[in-house]
Amino acid sequence: MNTLWTDIAFWFFSLGAIWFGWRVFRTDSMVRASFALLASFLNAAAVMILLLAEYLGVALFFMMAVEMTVMALFMVGFMMNPAGLNPMMMVHQHALSILFGVVGGAVLAAVAVFGDFPLREMGPAVGQIDQLGTELLGNSMLIFETAGIALLATMLGAIILSSRSNRFDTRSDDGSMPPPLDPNDPDSVPDIEQEEDQAGHSHHHH
Amino acid sequence: MPDVTFINPILSSIAVFVLLGFGAYVAAVINRVLTPAPRGARLAAVLLAPIRQGFLLLKEQLNCTERPDMMLWSVAPAAYATVAACAFTVVPVDSHLAIADVRTGIVLFGAAEALAIVALFLHGWSPNSHLPLIGGYRFVALGLSYELLSMFVLIAAALPAESLQVSQIVSSQAKIWNVVRQPLGLPLWIVVTLGITFTGPLNLADGSDLAAGTAMEISGRHLLLWKIARNIMLTVFCAMGASIFLGGWHGPLLAGWAWILIKTLALMVLVSWIGKRLARLPAERAVLYLWTIGLPISFLHLLQAGIEALV
Repeated sequence: MNTLWTDIAFWFFSLGAIWFGWRVFRTDSMVRASFALLASFLNAAAVMILLLAEYLGVALFFMMAVEMTVMALFMVGFMMNPAGLNPMMMVHQHALSILFGVVGGAVLAAVAVFGDFPLREMGPAVGQIDQLGTELLGNSMLIFETAGIALLATMLGAIILSSRSNRFDTRSDDGSMPPPLDPNDPDSVPDIEQEEDQAGHSHHHH
Repeated sequence: MPDVTFINPILSSIAVFVLLGFGAYVAAVINRVLTPAPRGARLAAVLLAPIRQGFLLLKEQLNCTERPDMMLWSVAPAAYATVAACAFTVVPVDSHLAIADVRTGIVLFGAAEALAIVALFLHGWSPNSHLPLIGGYRFVALGLSYELLSMFVLIAAALPAESLQVSQIVSSQAKIWNVVRQPLGLPLWIVVTLGITFTGPLNLADGSDLAAGTAMEISGRHLLLWKIARNIMLTVFCAMGASIFLGGWHGPLLAGWAWILIKTLALMVLVSWIGKRLARLPAERAVLYLWTIGLPISFLHLLQAGIEALV
């Protein structure tokens, strides 16, 4: 009974991971592609849990959820495709990408099928989370903490530098300078302040 | 306790379905009771109102927009309810008994919470309509803001138990509940609950300033499912709050499941009441408060919980 359910779950999630991975390239929007990729990762994470990598599998759930959401919004933001609602082609260089996809997939599948993996009986995964915790907060603590704080500081710094607290806030632009219109001519900086003044001026005359 | 317990997927699905269906109904009744009525309503009328409204919505015509993403639009409310149901499986329903009391309980719960943001965003994105889309975007901004609070609260609750398993967290409260030894935890958890269920002050996704936001274009059974899904999420987060702060099954005289039920209901009433009393915050201010006040408080909370667990 137990192994039957495990087998059903394995095939269900494995085929799910492949199918959603394929959908990533067949959709016509950044948002659909991102969340198809998310669905593929979720299925792969479920397979990881079946392989008794419980913590890593579950951690993959929430990491990918937040990651793909942020990625979808950023891609829409930089794609000049209003809100990702207009259809767009998701792949470039079709022939080459198909070739690389097929070759890459075949190599990985060959490793999985013909590779000489050690056949070890897995004991109950009781100590797994402890081991992971000891690894993260033991000898490797300095590395992980340094990387973590550096990343956090970078994210917060980027948000603080790029945010305006509201539409009346002008302080966050103080001291900033727009890039030159002509890259070879440093004097071609648009005079934004003057333009804004003129816009405001004409507005008052209405 | 055996290391690997086999859980029958069919039986456990039925159990989750029944319990959360009941929770969603109770949440609707609480909402009804807390909404001021012009005339004194009879008890029977109050109890039947959600069911009557449900049947009315079932008969209502379905709305459609111009070129929506039909698949994601239909799937989003179900996905929102499903991640809530998955999160519910790790929450104890009786003494030392959860549907799936996995060792990574609070991590799974946090993962479901993160996936709920995706479901809500897609619910706003898929109808191809501008106000729902703004609701979806706003919710992502809100979600990323309360998500950190939620993680710190869950981690802090795990510290005295020295375990990520929810039943262990409840067991660790046999002498003193977390609501006493981690006083900042429950208020933070209520903020998170208001956020994820888009209720009251944090109703940025479906607020009236967006003409119901992500729910603007839906009607009929689609709207019914959306309302049920939201109530399920409220039930799950209150059940989790009852387990990690109010001692779960611990209590005198009554059975474990009765205490869990009472505490969950109490939290549902409290959250719904706060949702009714506080005005909706503008999106920018909500995010500002969460990052500049909520986040430092949650750091403080984690520090206090850590020191308390060590001493």
